[in-house]
Amino acid sequence: MGRPTTAARLRVGVARFTSCGGCQLTLAGLHEALLAVADRVDIVEFAEVLSPRSSGPYDLLLVEGSVSTPDQARRISELRRQARLLVTIGACATTGGIQALRNWSDGDAWRAAVYPQPQFIHALRTSTPISEHVTVDALLRGCPIDPGQLAELVTALLVGRRAQLLDATVCMECKARGTVCLISSQGAPCLGPVTKSGCGAICPAFGRACYGCFGPAHPANVEALKAQFADQGRSDEEIGRLFAGFTANAPAFRANARPPLAVLDQPPVGPEPAARISHGFPGVPPLTASGDDDARQ
Amino acid sequence: MPGTAEATVSFLARADLDELIQALRAGGRRLIGPTVSDGAIVYDEIQQAAELPHGWGDEQGPGHYRLTRRDDERTFGFVVGPTSWKRFTFPPTVPLWRARRDGTEVSFESAEPEPAPLAFLGVRGCELAALGVQDRVLRDGPFADADFRARRANALIVAVECTTSASTCFCTSMGTGPEVRAGYDLRLTELDEGFLLDAASDAGTAILQRLPVRAATDAEQARASTAVAAVREELGDPVMTDGLRDRLLANLDSPGWASVAERCLTCANCTLVCPTCFCTSVGQASDLDGLDSTAERHWDSCFTPGFARVAGGGDFRARPQDRYRQWLTHKFATWVDQFGTFGCVGCGRCIAWCPVGIDVRQELAAIAPPPESAARSTGVREARFVVRATAPAREPLVQAQASPAPAPVAPAGTGLDFLPAVVRSSFPETADTLTLVLGDVDPAILAARPGQFVMVERPAFPAVPISISRLSEVHLDLTIRAAGFATAELTGLGPGEGVGLRGPLGRGWPIEAAVGRDVVIVAGGIGLAPLRPLVDRVLSERERFGAVRLYVGARTPRDRLFGLDISEWGTRDDVEFAETVDRAGAEWLGRVGVVTHLFDTAEWDGSQAVAFVCGPERMMQAAAATLLARGLAPERVYVTMERHMECGVGLCGHCQLGGFFVCKDGPVFSLAELGDAFGREGL
Repeated sequence: MGRPTTAARLRVGVARFTSCGGCQLTLAGLHEALLAVADRVDIVEFAEVLSPRSSGPYDLLLVEGSVSTPDQARRISELRRQARLLVTIGACATTGGIQALRNWSDGDAWRAAVYPQPQFIHALRTSTPISEHVTVDALLRGCPIDPGQLAELVTALLVGRRAQLLDATVCMECKARGTVCLISSQGAPCLGPVTKSGCGAICPAFGRACYGCFGPAHPANVEALKAQFADQGRSDEEIGRLFAGFTANAPAFRANARPPLAVLDQPPVGPEPAARISHGFPGVPPLTASGDDDARQ
Repeated sequence: MPGTAEATVSFLARADLDELIQALRAGGRRLIGPTVSDGAIVYDEIQQAAELPHGWGDEQGPGHYRLTRRDDERTFGFVVGPTSWKRFTFPPTVPLWRARRDGTEVSFESAEPEPAPLAFLGVRGCELAALGVQDRVLRDGPFADADFRARRANALIVAVECTTSASTCFCTSMGTGPEVRAGYDLRLTELDEGFLLDAASDAGTAILQRLPVRAATDAEQARASTAVAAVREELGDPVMTDGLRDRLLANLDSPGWASVAERCLTCANCTLVCPTCFCTSVGQASDLDGLDSTAERHWDSCFTPGFARVAGGGDFRARPQDRYRQWLTHKFATWVDQFGTFGCVGCGRCIAWCPVGIDVRQELAAIAPPPESAARSTGVREARFVVRATAPAREPLVQAQASPAPAPVAPAGTGLDFLPAVVRSSFPETADTLTLVLGDVDPAILAARPGQFVMVERPAFPAVPISISRLSEVHLDLTIRAAGFATAELTGLGPGEGVGLRGPLGRGWPIEAAVGRDVVIVAGGIGLAPLRPLVDRVLSERERFGAVRLYVGARTPRDRLFGLDISEWGTRDDVEFAETVDRAGAEWLGRVGVVTHLFDTAEWDGSQAVAFVCGPERMMQAAAATLLARGLAPERVYVTMERHMECGVGLCGHCQLGGFFVCKDGPVFSLAELGDAFGREGL
């Protein structure tokens, strides 16, 4: 039952798959908070920031990016074996990312159209989240992830408590900061009511409707929101485009997403498995990204 | 200005409005009032009259709000926007307490509310009623929210009567507007050329005296009255509130709930724009070592996924329809039981700001339709203020509500302070459960009654509610199962380490009800923990009771708690004791089967007995059925209900079960009190 000894230093690694690199730079962007964290952890693998490299093992491995090549599919299995806790960070790693829009298209045709020598391109048919390949212990959503959520996750790991990541809709965060609802006041096509909280409702605060980069809330009544958008006079194409964004491949959005140039109604990928624990600190209960902790006994 | 025949009514010219603004701001008071921002009229800090929304109006409907340009320069020619005064009386985030750990010692320090003096300009009748509802919930109950109390006491209120309305308004049905009748410092009614003003407090009078006003003419007052009366006429009476509480509670199984759930986004917007919704959660912000943490209260909603979830992932309101039912029945039915008033004031915000335009008026009519015979009066009904004497059909358990006794001041915002105690020893009970014996416990907590619980906190971890499993003059025992991080932290504590305790909380077992009667005690699993102090008490005062029968069940022999006590109970000849496990291997020589099998074929007559039952809800249902079949009266079968708890004093809203706050009204209830709430899905 013991707590992780506070003196223990965590070996932390950052791995990158198909992604822009913006999420792992959020770690570097913690600035002062990172200095405090650095006092308590050894970041042994962080290719965008550090020259020394390590192939593991890791107490905590932050994985950014989606799996979109055969090499990556092999590499993530190896990394899983090296990581006690594997946390996926960002829309690519948690849903497949913007590049998962190719899941709706004919990849061979694109390859032939774009590359002079398409036979040298070894890409999988689809871009998929890490959790479709290995067990994931926790996830941080967003494009990019929220620095506050990352700091909270690391803090919670060090303290040995559950990370407190608000499990609600973006609307909760709009209301907390006093942002006027863009749907009611402007008829804007905002995905906030079906999108997971965590970003602090940045976009609506600047007058931009939420485009769902944190992925679907749970539950996400997408049908009801679509019906409202249709009542406001939007076409099916326009509504389908709204869901064809950074988290188009997330199960609750997938069936509603209609990317431009799509040749398939639905991408050929399976359901996203729920994040679950397979590894953890000895004696510490499973870490999940949301949910209640303890109740009355 | 209706109903003000005796008050002196003054007239303030439009050009002099800034005099009022500056008088309100005098002495460093922050003035909050309406202003145009981001396409809506919101409430924000106002420095001068020019910032007010002169010439702006609004157009509202289900899921719809648009700013409109009026063809006059009216200052209050709009209705209500997305902001409510709750934002300033009950802000989205409030620090509650700071917890620190230094070596083995822990300390707790409550945040001191330090609100700047505020003035609210433009409070509508419905909004004034909402402040009154908040007073009842957060200030006037058995426990008060110190932060709210301080903010409220410091706020000067300038109310405005409505001379315009929106299609979403139904104040006339809820009895809250469009007139303003009480609860203000200054009241204002707008005419084209200026404002009628009167004061209803010393502070209001003092401000009025500093303004360049003259006495209002009879003609001006008549015009104002006519304008307000026209709004009342226009709104009619869209919601039939007579008997609404009973109609709603009679329709808990209506198919209408599933129907509205198909449209509901469970996004929580309705609850967040509602001026009376008060549900909150507590989060902990800590340093990296977990030595220093701050607990903060933030707005939550009965629509969020974790709101009614408990250990092990059980969710009492898992389906969207359960959550919508909680929202609507709370506003229009169980709020009456809890606080003697509806929780709705008819402002219509939940209609305009629902992204898909769900209209509570239509849902009420669909789910709890008025009886056909009740012909709707189309005429003007007398305003019924929100504080109404609707007598609930079922007596609520909230005992202290009617009593005018001052509420205990609650420095931490949620009741009582955390007080440190020290772990003296710990005894493993099962693989994941142990008993902590605590010393240096505050005498007020040691004075707990059997069946009460405490909130237990380690710095940096969330506070968890734990039943007291033994009480002595110097020690308090807590039996804790490591179900999550916070309980894992607690079960990992060694002798000498400190914890924070807040309590004692809840209504304990009503032992006095059993004096002179036979006592039946039925425990399942860790449910034995809150029952052990009761057993201790009954056995120490054995002569006051008739036969004592004690039935204990556990899942497997390895899950049995309190081995020493069980051995002792089993050898006493003044107690009928029996024990069983659900499953066992060959090493177990005792009974196997569910706990009800221990007494469903017994010979005793239960008609004069009192029963105390604790365990998983399904086990309690089975035990209750068996006990009733043995002749026990529902008034004399007591169970303990489990719900998500955060504050423990009825302020955070999580633990509601119908009209009850399980934390303060329970967790012990008789079957008669619970009625059909016992075992009902989704409550």
